[in-house]
Amino acid sequence: MDSSLVKLTVQGVWTDASPNAESQVVLLQDEAKTSVLPIWVGTAEGTAIRMALEGIAPPRPLSHDLLRNITEHLGLKVAKVVVTDVKSNTYYASIFLAGKQSEVTVDSRPSDAIALALRTNSPIFATRDVLERQSPETVDPWLKNLDTKGLGGVA
Amino acid sequence: MLTQMQVRGLMFDPYTNAYIVILRDEGNSEMLPIWVGKPEASSINFAMEGVATPRPMTHDLMKTVLDTADAKIISVVVTDLKENTYYAKIHLLYEDSEYSIDSRPSDAIALALRAKAPIFVTDDVIQKHSDEEMDRWLENLKPEDFGKYDA
Repeated sequence: MDSSLVKLTVQGVWTDASPNAESQVVLLQDEAKTSVLPIWVGTAEGTAIRMALEGIAPPRPLSHDLLRNITEHLGLKVAKVVVTDVKSNTYYASIFLAGKQSEVTVDSRPSDAIALALRTNSPIFATRDVLERQSPETVDPWLKNLDTKGLGGVA
Repeated sequence: MLTQMQVRGLMFDPYTNAYIVILRDEGNSEMLPIWVGKPEASSINFAMEGVATPRPMTHDLMKTVLDTADAKIISVVVTDLKENTYYAKIHLLYEDSEYSIDSRPSDAIALALRAKAPIFVTDDVIQKHSDEEMDRWLENLKPEDFGKYDA
């Protein structure tokens, strides 16, 4: 298992075009543009990620703005977030928080980790293992589907 | 002055397609409905029912971050009501200092339930709420409503 880290950037949030899907898809890509990691998230988290990408400051703090404000008040810096594992289609992530003396790691859903990272300008990584474990057979047809139907969902 | 409130229930409002959190004081003399979004409502519901989700929800994550830093939620307070928007503050104790953080009431309540912290409402908000409710009631009066009591 290759646990070395690959830096990813968020390409966007798309509405899942498949019927009855209530979720949204966050698309992450590595810098070399050789791997793509789609992560399914809930509508609220999708919106939180989209607002951060578009730099929209809501009139009242949304949940992830509050989360960022809490970390700031506690003097914790988000060092990085890492998508660490995928088990039966569920992705796992860790948030690395740097305090005055030590660094702590907090278990998180990737959606929360990404929404927080975008608000704190923190880097997002996935382990090489997570990227390699996605089978191209499942991702590629899905990406093809996204190109034709899903792109309208960006706006 | 502050009045301590309990979360008494969660309702769905079909007219606004939103959820309402019902806060009530101990003596059942004051009631404050707060409109919240669907994700916040389900998060409050999980906390009320004591349901542990397989993966941490956003408010569970907030609680974990606070626990990790040894910070404690002293209380949450619904502090203001302006143009139908409620404002709240989360009061934290961290390294012997107190901090208050601006929050929507929905997030504050979801967090308070997880941290077993008390929820308060200022008397000002309770007063404004009954004033706004009166205004709304007056606004919704139709001309025909006035005729009802004509002899």
